[in-house]
Amino acid sequence: MTGTLAMESEQAKYLEAAKEVVKREAFNMQRCLDKGQLMDGLRHATEMLNELRTSILMPKSYYELYMMVTMELTHLTMYMSAEFIKENKIADLYELVQHAGNIIPRLYLLITVGVVYIKSKECSRKDILQDLVEMCRGVQHPLRGLFLRNFLLTSTRDVLPDVDETSADTGTVDDSIDFILLNFSEMNKLWVRMQHQGHSRDRTKREQERLELKILVGTNLERLSRLEGVTVSKYQNHVLPAILKQLINCKDSIAQEYLMDCIIQVFPDEFHLKTLDIFLDTCCQPQGAVNVRNILISKIGRLSNYAQADPSNIPEDIKLFEIFSGKVTQIIQSRTEMPPEDILALQSALIKLALNVYPSETGYVDQVLQNSFNIFEEDKSRAKGCSTELSRMLRVPVDHYQDILTILQLEHFTPLFSFLDHRIRKELCVYIMEHVIQTDTYIDSHDQVDLFLTMMTCLISDQPDQPKEPEDPEDFELQQSLVGRAVHQMTSSVPDQQFLILNMCKKHLLNGGDKRIQYTLPSLVFRAMELCRVYFELKEEDEKWEKKVCKILQYINSLLSALVKAEYWDLALRLFLQSALICDLMGIQTAETIAYEFVSRAFAIYEEEVSDSKAQLVAISLIIATFERTINFSEENHEPLRSQCLRASSKLLKKPDQCRAVSLCAHIYWSGKNRENEGSAMRETKRVLDSMKKAVRISNQCMEPSVQVQLFVELLNKYIYFLDNGCTDVTQAMISQLVGKIRDDMPGLEASEATNQIVQHFNSTLAYIKSKHGMSFPTS
Amino acid sequence: MVSWLGYGNSATVSIVLDDEETRTKVPVLLEDDGKEYQHLFYDGDNVSGKVVIKLKQEGKKLEHQGIKIEFLGQIEIYYDRGNHYEFVKLDKDLARPGDMTESCSFPFEFLKVVKQYESYTGRNVRLRYFLRVTISRRLVDIIHEKELMVHQLSSYPETNSSLKMEVGIEDCLHIEFEYNRSKYHLNDVIVGKIYFILVRIKIKHMELSIIKRETTGSGPNTYNENEQINRYEIMDGAPVRGESIPIRLFLSAYDLTPTMKDVNKKFSVRYYLNLVLVDEEDRRYFKQQEITLWRKSPLSLKPENRGVAALESPQKENSVS
Repeated sequence: MTGTLAMESEQAKYLEAAKEVVKREAFNMQRCLDKGQLMDGLRHATEMLNELRTSILMPKSYYELYMMVTMELTHLTMYMSAEFIKENKIADLYELVQHAGNIIPRLYLLITVGVVYIKSKECSRKDILQDLVEMCRGVQHPLRGLFLRNFLLTSTRDVLPDVDETSADTGTVDDSIDFILLNFSEMNKLWVRMQHQGHSRDRTKREQERLELKILVGTNLERLSRLEGVTVSKYQNHVLPAILKQLINCKDSIAQEYLMDCIIQVFPDEFHLKTLDIFLDTCCQPQGAVNVRNILISKIGRLSNYAQADPSNIPEDIKLFEIFSGKVTQIIQSRTEMPPEDILALQSALIKLALNVYPSETGYVDQVLQNSFNIFEEDKSRAKGCSTELSRMLRVPVDHYQDILTILQLEHFTPLFSFLDHRIRKELCVYIMEHVIQTDTYIDSHDQVDLFLTMMTCLISDQPDQPKEPEDPEDFELQQSLVGRAVHQMTSSVPDQQFLILNMCKKHLLNGGDKRIQYTLPSLVFRAMELCRVYFELKEEDEKWEKKVCKILQYINSLLSALVKAEYWDLALRLFLQSALICDLMGIQTAETIAYEFVSRAFAIYEEEVSDSKAQLVAISLIIATFERTINFSEENHEPLRSQCLRASSKLLKKPDQCRAVSLCAHIYWSGKNRENEGSAMRETKRVLDSMKKAVRISNQCMEPSVQVQLFVELLNKYIYFLDNGCTDVTQAMISQLVGKIRDDMPGLEASEATNQIVQHFNSTLAYIKSKHGMSFPTS
Repeated sequence: MVSWLGYGNSATVSIVLDDEETRTKVPVLLEDDGKEYQHLFYDGDNVSGKVVIKLKQEGKKLEHQGIKIEFLGQIEIYYDRGNHYEFVKLDKDLARPGDMTESCSFPFEFLKVVKQYESYTGRNVRLRYFLRVTISRRLVDIIHEKELMVHQLSSYPETNSSLKMEVGIEDCLHIEFEYNRSKYHLNDVIVGKIYFILVRIKIKHMELSIIKRETTGSGPNTYNENEQINRYEIMDGAPVRGESIPIRLFLSAYDLTPTMKDVNKKFSVRYYLNLVLVDEEDRRYFKQQEITLWRKSPLSLKPENRGVAALESPQKENSVS
């Protein structure tokens, strides 16, 4: 580190000294020129130019010095242009400056005079240009040579002939082309040579230095591109082949990569179009070191933009995609050592090309995917460690199409998943699934569903390559909920198709194993119920609707059985009850059987699997509530079920639970419906009152006074409910008895928040009774 | 150069050439670094004019034993000061012994004088032409000399092949060089190229210099004096195999003479092109080639020829394949 610093300060010191000399000599030169003393002026110019002979300066500092010197040389140019052209002495001067003993000052002066010579039109400019570029061969030192030739190029910038053969000028654009091409190839040789000089341990530094100088070489190409006379045909037949030949021969990857990119950037699009074959063939040359990836991507990008700007830019006969695709395949095959990330980057570029230029041709994208698949399939080792890149490539069409259906048409999309790591594969699946949900795309045929779920298989079921340790439960839940949500995107407006879709989902989702189905199956159950309703509404139009509904109900049954088997009792119980309601709604014989089955299954779960008393109360409440909503049970089935409700209620362990459950059963007798009633409520007043009495009796058995009073208040409310709903057998005596009882017990309660609530509830109830029924219960 | 060491200073002598106004003068460097212009003659030119003798004091008579003028060509070897070898000696009597009472002039004429050598001033030897007027007197002669410059013109050599040679150090350096001619006139341009066949040394730069070798004496007394005329860098940096480096050297930039071989069996002046490669350890590798220099008639040195010469492309003219 200190070494570098010391070197840098050394550099700065040397540069300062050199600049000092340049400044002084430039001043003296100027003074002599002002006095008309050309010879002395040239002597000082030579002294100034001698500073450029240094070997000490690094490219950066040398550049600084070079800029300063060449700036001063413009004074000389101006002087000579003014003084010599009119005196016709420029030819003498051209010889005179060649007397200088050192080659660096000599050639800088020669170029300076040469340009004035050309402008004087005394001699053929073609000859002068040729002479200059040939004489520059004398400088073989890479750094000094590069700068000298750059000086040649920039000095002659304005005097290069740019006309065709028909012009009377001394020199045509062909001469300019030859001039630049020669300068270019010589510069490139020098530039490449830098790589092979010095110690191998300085390689990084050297490459850094070379990169700093690259623009000097590239300027040649830039100048070529600005020649108007370089037409497509000249470019195709002469310019490009010459450049490429130089690139191939130099066997240097830095040069090849940079200059290829230069070519792509500086020449116009239509040139590239015409020369696609030859350019790509060059890329294909078996020179392992060339970073063909960036070059090709750059080229594809350039033409892709060109085509996008205006599709008519690309002539019909140029099949961009086919050409690029063919070459890319060829390159990948010929370079077995090509890293997979490069392969994928190339394929991604091709996909982008296909998407941007040929949006309607999904076949192109698929072709790329197929090629990628074949490459990896052929040699699986090539796919190693490139999951991220592959995943990135696969996201390109997903993002572009915004439509999963198009993706599903790509036959070779899903197969590529097999080359992804498990984690990456899962991330990609989540990405696609979220995409589907966000864009609200409907997958509306069972074939597509099949394809989609196959693609998503790593979310749907266990994978052989998944990690041994279980996943983070939160992530897992998120992923599976996502699958559940995605089920709602698999929707067809045609009911029969929808059923096929549901079956397809089931086929896939059941593979998910016990830990997944709790998240995924409920969605399917609800989708199935929804479908039942659809058929129910269509029953006038579809005579087979009964059969179809039964099929769906069986379908639901099989799903629920799976949940039972996986011991998701609570979930199964609720879904059984929900399903039972749907069955009941259908109002057909077979459905009733199934509904009965569902309710009884719920009971079975309740009895055998629900052990926690709180859960039991919740469960039985649900069962009672569900049963109360049914309308199409025949009395034959209704009777055992309602008895079962009552029985189960009174069998609850805790008295308050018993009391509440039993009082709920009263509702079944009051508002429950069965087929025989044809939709009207049962209104079995006696049984209602029996249940209520039973509830009061049970609450009497409660040991806890506050709970007891609370239960009484709740029961009072129930009585009033029945009274409100026209149950005339509820008498004032019953109510006042209950009120009296509450009033008796109330004072014994300990003062607490709970007690306050009870008191308030009670008072509100009394106020309601008074306002509604005009009953008041004065304290005795 | 007026050298008159007369006793009594009674007269000054001067030589006025007939075509003094029109004859070309060339600058000559003197031994004391001064510069003098001398009149230029070629072989076969007449040398004519008049000798003007001015008396210091008009009327005072000058007694003499005779007046003569000589045309002399002689070679002086510096380490042998005493002996001057005269290869030409022509003389003419201008006046018989008698008295001069007034200043007068005497015309003289040497017709078609053979001047077979070129004037030359070197390190160890000088070849010069001069006119000498002698006024013979009893005690000390009055002598006056006038230097003349003689250029020896040649015509374009009949054979003038290029110089081409492959040289090298085994497994280290192989180059092929080529100079477009073997004989150059003094205002000529040496055009050529160096082709690198094998480069295993780290070359720093390459120079082409001209070496002048002046040989005097003969046999065991032969004495060589080498003088490097110039230092002309033709390449900077290290070339790789296959590079070819152009050479273009303008001879007019230097003070050169024609090649002189065995002039009057006294001396020779030869020129060599010395190609020197210097490596990074400052070792020098060189190869010398003799070239013949000749003087071309100034009439045929047209300016436009020089313009073309300036653009002679070394690559085009001598392709080595």
